[in-house]
Amino acid sequence: MNNNIYNYSSPRAKSARASKILNTAPIKFLLIFCAIALLCLGIYLLIVKSSLGWLVASFSTLPFILFIYTVHYLSKVPVGKGNNINDLLSTNCLIYLGKDPTPQSIAKIIKNTRSGRFLAARFGITEQMLQFVTNGQAADATPVFNTALEIRNNLGAEVVSGGILAISLIQHFPDYENLLRSMKLSIDDLYQGINWYNHIYGLVLAAKKHHHTGGIGRDFAFGYTPTLRHFGQNISEIRPTIPTQIHQVSHQEILNRMVQIFSQGGRQNVALVGPDGSGRSTIVSAFADMLMDADSHLPANLKFRQIYLLDSAALISAANAPGEIETLLSRIFNEAYSAKNIIICLDNAHLFFEEGTGSVDISNLLTPILEAGGLRIILTMNEQKYLEISAKNSTLTNSLNKIIVAPASEQETMLIMQDKVPSFEYQHNVIFTYWALREAYRLSERYIHDLAMPGRALSLLETSADYPEQGKFITETSVQQAIEKTEGVKVQQVTTEADRNNLLNMEELIHRRMVNQESAVKTVSDALRRASVGVRNESRPIGTFLFLGPTGVGKTELAKSLSEVYFNGESQIVRIDLNEYVSENDVSRLIAEASKYDNSLTAQVMKRPFSVVLLDEIEKAHPKVLTTLLQMLDEGILRDSENHEVSFRDCIVIATSNAGANEIRQYISQGVPLDKVKDELVNQLVKSGEFKPEFLNRFDEICIFTPLSEADLLKVVDIIIAGVNQTLAPQKITVSLDDEAKRLLVQKGNDPMLGARPMRRIVQQTVENLVARMLLSSQISAGSTVVITAEMVQGD
Amino acid sequence: MFNLLSWWYSAGWADFLHRSGATLANLMDFFSIDLLFKTLFSPFRQISAGSAKSASLDVKFRMFIDRLVSRFIGAIVRTFVIIAGILCIGVVAIINLAFIILWPALPLLPVAGIILTILGVAF
Repeated sequence: MNNNIYNYSSPRAKSARASKILNTAPIKFLLIFCAIALLCLGIYLLIVKSSLGWLVASFSTLPFILFIYTVHYLSKVPVGKGNNINDLLSTNCLIYLGKDPTPQSIAKIIKNTRSGRFLAARFGITEQMLQFVTNGQAADATPVFNTALEIRNNLGAEVVSGGILAISLIQHFPDYENLLRSMKLSIDDLYQGINWYNHIYGLVLAAKKHHHTGGIGRDFAFGYTPTLRHFGQNISEIRPTIPTQIHQVSHQEILNRMVQIFSQGGRQNVALVGPDGSGRSTIVSAFADMLMDADSHLPANLKFRQIYLLDSAALISAANAPGEIETLLSRIFNEAYSAKNIIICLDNAHLFFEEGTGSVDISNLLTPILEAGGLRIILTMNEQKYLEISAKNSTLTNSLNKIIVAPASEQETMLIMQDKVPSFEYQHNVIFTYWALREAYRLSERYIHDLAMPGRALSLLETSADYPEQGKFITETSVQQAIEKTEGVKVQQVTTEADRNNLLNMEELIHRRMVNQESAVKTVSDALRRASVGVRNESRPIGTFLFLGPTGVGKTELAKSLSEVYFNGESQIVRIDLNEYVSENDVSRLIAEASKYDNSLTAQVMKRPFSVVLLDEIEKAHPKVLTTLLQMLDEGILRDSENHEVSFRDCIVIATSNAGANEIRQYISQGVPLDKVKDELVNQLVKSGEFKPEFLNRFDEICIFTPLSEADLLKVVDIIIAGVNQTLAPQKITVSLDDEAKRLLVQKGNDPMLGARPMRRIVQQTVENLVARMLLSSQISAGSTVVITAEMVQGD
Repeated sequence: MFNLLSWWYSAGWADFLHRSGATLANLMDFFSIDLLFKTLFSPFRQISAGSAKSASLDVKFRMFIDRLVSRFIGAIVRTFVIIAGILCIGVVAIINLAFIILWPALPLLPVAGIILTILGVAF
């Protein structure tokens, strides 16, 4: 395309360069000053009868014309009529582009353009990066312009901006896809960046435009509403400079439906029913903006109608006696009706239909008003509250025009976030990167369950403004920090050396507090290492394990060790003894809503979403309980009794069972390899009907815990003694056992049926008793080391 | 220079026409002229608003009088605003019109000035 050879001497390029000189405040001031001065001087000369006055006065038009030309033309040189680079390049690019440009010289000027700086701040497309991808060949400039023009045409942009040139330069780099991938970007993301910039710039221009709002006589024909003003907020009055943006097609349809309902006869009300965060209030604001826009094409009976949000708290506090609130509301509704330009909005309408102290129930007052349809009313509430109100007073809900407000899709949420970013940036004095927006969507979708999209993403995005990086940039990490602080989850991948070492040496760390069970420990450690680097299915728990083995061999201990090593503390464990859930009715207790029973599984995981969930003695649970747990194992989600979604996707789920313990002992004593033991055991458990195959199949791994040998038990004694020494540390006393003493304790504490469980009690009692006696008889003092022998153990 | 003149006599002039139109539209909106004409005899601020269905005859009569007074006050207030608006819009329209007419002549004024100076024309 030869037409895309850049012409340094084109009229637009010349004008743009002229604007660099003329379109500055001092020059513009000088021009206006000269025009006025010459005019005044000319008039003076004419007054004193000098014909030179004509010349001087007439020459005042020259700086004046130049001023008009600068302000109205040079400040933004309009695009030409052709579809070539000379006609479509933005003014800023034309100002800085030199003769015979090369890709490298083009890269240099990008930073001087607004869109170029926008891409640099939000997407990391910096000058250094552009220099890296470009060369100094003048012949390569034309292809860059050709591509830029294509991008401009595809995106429907007005001009070829600096941002578009930057993308074009990147696209001409041979390995650009890999380069962008290394920045966690794609070329489509950059196109979105251009659309984002153009949208924001469009809003800025729209804000500068004069809005027609009806003028001084607008409300002459409508009444006064003093009481309503006192107890409500006129959202039509606080009209933003930029009208509320609606990006969801479904929301636009709702607005049209609202116009239809309020402009026709019939019930003049709308109930916006949708989950919290789905944008109900935004729809009301957009509707208010629409009604107050004199240029909007609305029926005359809707234009300039004003929306008042009623404040339930103010109303309740103003009413001192029973019945007073009804009187007050009656007066407010009468005022609104008489004024003829009021639409009442009951935001979170359920607040007006609740009984009890500090609440108000106006359903009896409101139902006839809604049915009569004389007063325009908007109600907003979530589905749950709507159902509750409907159950209590079906006449009220039957008289409502219900409109469902659907949550936003990913694409819509991204656009809404892009819209909100400038105001967040202004409020918090930060800059949001594109990655932050994407991460806010991803993480909020995963971890925030009490709000719908886009509310949940916006809420996280705004919170992340408190965690800036490199000065004032809100990055992916800022968002991760925000969610970690607010939701108590761990989302950042391992970054510190210490974390890395912990994961690499997980088996060793676990074996510091438990012995043997190498196979189980390795299986679990591998799963956690995969999860820590993001190699796992994010729609399931981090890992789901079934630990099978006799009592006292370390099943619970391994769960506790995991909690300590992976979640930094033994407290991050949710333990449910399923022997307490043996009847069908116990299911409701297992998934009870947090406010009703805070020890239920769902309530505890809601409080600690990043933890080890230990389901002890699973074989004793009622089959219905196990069926309830299937979805949790499969999808990492469990719904509580109030239908709230509880995520187990950041949990390690461990179920333990003694089922088949005798068989395990038998197999191990016969020397059957562990893998075979597992297969045989699973078959037996399914055959015997203890577990259903679909339940066993839900686990990532079934780990067999073997009985402990004498050598293992000696190691257990060492671990227990280490614990005793920790207890005695404040008294500076150290205890050690000779080998005979250890063997004796193992003999005393080992129970083939109970494993190492009695061992702790026996070792602790024996050793602590001995130390206590020695301390009392002053045989030992602070700083002593006690060596316990077999005789001492026997004598105890 | 050529760029400047070609803009002045084409897009510049059209742009000024457009801006003049926008200014007048803004003024029209500010004074709500069309709205005031449409509601010229409507009750002012709905002061008389109220239901009279079940009221007695003398109450109905009083309300009718109230409404009449309200309409009368409304008509006066609106008429004043309309007159003020029309005056204001008229003045701005005349100034804009003069400028639109003068627009093509502006670049030529220095030439006229030179001629008048050479001719020695003075007050």
